[in-house]
Amino acid sequence: MKTSNALLFILVLLYINASTQWPTHTVCKEDNLEIYYKSCDPQQDFTLSIDHCPDIATHTFNIRGTAVLRHSIKELYVKLNMIVNGRTVLTYSETLCGPGHSKLIFCGKKKGEHLHYEGPVTLGIKEIPQGDYTISAKLTNQDHVIVACADFTVKNYLDYY
Amino acid sequence: MPKRGALPLGTLLVLLLLAFVPFPLSGCLLDPCLEITPNTTFRCTGLNISGVPDGVPNTTLNLDLSFSNLKSLGSNYFTSVPELQFLDLSRCHIHTIEDNSFMDLPSLSTLVLTANSLQQLGKAAFNGLTSLKKLVLVETNRTSLSELPIGHLHTLQELNLGHNSITSLKLPKYFTNMTSLRHLSFFSNRITSISRGDLDALREGSRLNLTLVLSLNNIKSIEPGAFAGIRLAELALRSAFESSMMQTALQGLAGLQVSRLTVGVFSDHDREQDFERGLLDGLCQVQMEEFVLICLGDFEDDTDTLFDCVGNVSSIRLVDLGLEQISQVPVGSKVKQLECKKCGFDDVPAMKLSLFKELRVLRITKNRSLKTFDQKFEGLSNLEVIDLSENRLTFSRCCSPQFRNCSNLKHLNLSFNSYIRLTGDFINVENLLYLDFQHTTLFGPGSYPVFLSLQRLIYLDISHTKTEVKSQCTFCGLNSLQVLKMAGNSFADNKLANNFKNLSHLHTLDISSCKLEHVDQSTFDALPELKELNISNNKLLTFDPGVYQPLQALRVLDFSRNQLTVLLDSAREILPDSLLLLDISQNLFDCSCVYLDFLMWIKENQELLQNEELMLCHTPSYVANVSLPSFDLSSCHVDAGKVASSVVVLLCVMVIFLLVYRYYFQLYYSVVLLSGCKHYAERGDTYDAFVIHSSKDQEWVTKELVEPLEGGRPPFHLCLYYRDFLPGVPIVTNIIQEGFLSSRNVIAVISAEFLESKWCSFEFDIAQSWQLVEGKAGIIMIVLEHVNKDLLRQRLGLSRYLRRNTYLEWKDNEISKHIFWRQLTGVLMEGKNWNHEEAKLM
Repeated sequence: MKTSNALLFILVLLYINASTQWPTHTVCKEDNLEIYYKSCDPQQDFTLSIDHCPDIATHTFNIRGTAVLRHSIKELYVKLNMIVNGRTVLTYSETLCGPGHSKLIFCGKKKGEHLHYEGPVTLGIKEIPQGDYTISAKLTNQDHVIVACADFTVKNYLDYY
Repeated sequence: MPKRGALPLGTLLVLLLLAFVPFPLSGCLLDPCLEITPNTTFRCTGLNISGVPDGVPNTTLNLDLSFSNLKSLGSNYFTSVPELQFLDLSRCHIHTIEDNSFMDLPSLSTLVLTANSLQQLGKAAFNGLTSLKKLVLVETNRTSLSELPIGHLHTLQELNLGHNSITSLKLPKYFTNMTSLRHLSFFSNRITSISRGDLDALREGSRLNLTLVLSLNNIKSIEPGAFAGIRLAELALRSAFESSMMQTALQGLAGLQVSRLTVGVFSDHDREQDFERGLLDGLCQVQMEEFVLICLGDFEDDTDTLFDCVGNVSSIRLVDLGLEQISQVPVGSKVKQLECKKCGFDDVPAMKLSLFKELRVLRITKNRSLKTFDQKFEGLSNLEVIDLSENRLTFSRCCSPQFRNCSNLKHLNLSFNSYIRLTGDFINVENLLYLDFQHTTLFGPGSYPVFLSLQRLIYLDISHTKTEVKSQCTFCGLNSLQVLKMAGNSFADNKLANNFKNLSHLHTLDISSCKLEHVDQSTFDALPELKELNISNNKLLTFDPGVYQPLQALRVLDFSRNQLTVLLDSAREILPDSLLLLDISQNLFDCSCVYLDFLMWIKENQELLQNEELMLCHTPSYVANVSLPSFDLSSCHVDAGKVASSVVVLLCVMVIFLLVYRYYFQLYYSVVLLSGCKHYAERGDTYDAFVIHSSKDQEWVTKELVEPLEGGRPPFHLCLYYRDFLPGVPIVTNIIQEGFLSSRNVIAVISAEFLESKWCSFEFDIAQSWQLVEGKAGIIMIVLEHVNKDLLRQRLGLSRYLRRNTYLEWKDNEISKHIFWRQLTGVLMEGKNWNHEEAKLM
């Protein structure tokens, strides 16, 4: 009897711990383009917006993003996985803050600081694929710790020009 | 008594309540702190607490309370952890720090208060921190330095005030006492002007090692004289100035002495800064050792003044600039080190750079547009290092014409470029010690002896240069060479021949990924000093002891990723004692028990072997991908018990086989008898008796047995082999089917010949067993008078049979004959089915 009670107790606690789910935010919702995201970092959510959604078809667009850093970002690496039907079909990674060269302002920020980026983003791929898919994005630092993590749901039927 | 499995109502309620408590509270129910190192380092983040958590012992040295909801710190807040050295209070929603909050922390050396919008900071807030070395006040809502109660922190080495709203750099008097201060950061504040006297506190005393960061401010003006007489280790001024105010503001640095001055912007900063004529004029009055100019765009034709005021600096780094050419170099420049990283050159600006007469180190790297090398360096007699790596250079006639009178050049790096043709002319750079061409497509090496004049070279890297070594004299002339790296190239016929004959001082040789299939016997004969050999990722099938024998100084040998099946005993013997690391992983190992000694050697030499986890069996297939070091050797040891039992089994089989061979007929007919007797029994009794006799007694049988019995009354029907056996059927089949199965009795006529005959004794044996099985046919024995009793005794079985059973004895006189006939007919009469006719006849 005691054992089963303890087990249930632990299960309830685990349920409480694991049930932290961040809400889904909308980045774009237009006729041909919908982008939503949800933070997959259990510790925190963050904000992100794109200034003019159809601009993503031009490969360079302005974004604003804000997060509170849980870890320092002496170095910062981004890794994107494009997932279609549960399968990773494309991966893309880039160094945002490399060791010894901090070309971006926020490089070198420490734990607890406010990270705010407002500016252009240029994609390393020719065009954003059309269709329905998920993009899983992860930012990691010099210790390979996840600084931020998000799953983007994209429904893209924009025409490229 | 509660039923098993039923939850009491109380427990259920508690669980339901728990399910609805908010998350932070549930965190408190678990142990709130994570023990990173026992008793000394604890992480208690994201808590809703006031005070140090109870679980943290007083031995704690490092405590991380970040992201907790502390709100305010009262006096003697940390009494329970007096040994503390590191305290992290990042983003703890602290708005108030009362006096004496850190009173009991005399050992604290680092205090992090990042991202707490401090509204009330007591005058004695930091009292008691007598050992504090690092104070981080990033994002803490500070607006001025004067209100900071840190005047007594004389031990402070680093003060970080980044991301605040400080508007004035007026350093309060107490900075004079902070003689240990090494790093003072005002990164991203709102400093708009620096006036004379602001930095007076730094002027006093001998302060050589202070780094002052003023990046990301809105400085409009620096009053001339503000930096006069100041000595700094480093001054960082990236994106520090209001748009277009840089030039005038820099004038204010006059009189500064600094080891490194960094000027420029951040690439993602919205205030772009172009290079204009005279931008750096203000630096003429600055005494510095290293000058870094970073992220400026749009140089156009205004670069004339770039070096005007930095010509006396010993080291210049130009990073991420749109600099397309160098137009003007001041006469008598004292620049010793010059680096242009990510600049916009099309051609190596050798002519202009040659004006830096004192130049010792020149680096032009990561220029995507840099493709040609037509200009020539001239007269740089002090030049020792040239690094032109990671550009897109394509040029011919390397490498003498490009460096006229640069006789001191020792280090030339042309790696990661596009295409370079070598002519073998190195006359101007004969003193080269290091030459690096890796990942640049080369023409020349391999076909011609291009390195003939580089007698002093000690380091040569031609890895991945698409070189095919065809000439025996490829490395001729490199008599001092110690390191040769040529991975990712190829050799003629994929064969390593006598290519290294003159490299007698070679220490390191990398010939990995060279598609090698064969190594000639004498290849390494001339390399007695070789310490490191990397021959991995080739297609070598064997490790020939004769080839590697000369390498007696070897310390590291990488033979991984080849097609080696085994390292034979002879090969293992020649491995020198000096060998420290041996990598034979990722080969196609044969783990057959034939190579048991090799497998045992692997186990015994695990310290020597590298990448053990990648040493896998390839054959035989049933052990494929089994790790060699964990290979089960016992599977190869022969078990004595198994051998004994298999020998016994084998012997038994042989014995059985022999027995079967010997008694084939008997066995065969035993089987027939046992299995088929019922079937045959239905044939009925065609004969009254089957007569077993020797063919030599046939006359007696016909005359004395057949005639009286078949002709007598009642007539008996006898089965005789010469008369009744069916032709075309095996004799034995006839014996069984016609003889035994169809007869009620068996008459055995025993004579000397009967005893001799094998057939007769066989028939008699069957008769006996038949009698035993069926219990039907009686054996009537007739012993003829002239039978030798001795012989009869020899046939023990028969004699014993005769002893146990009654038999008839034939004697050639009338009385005996009469008795014989009466007895015989009597026996035969028993059990005979008489038909009518026969009964009448009786």
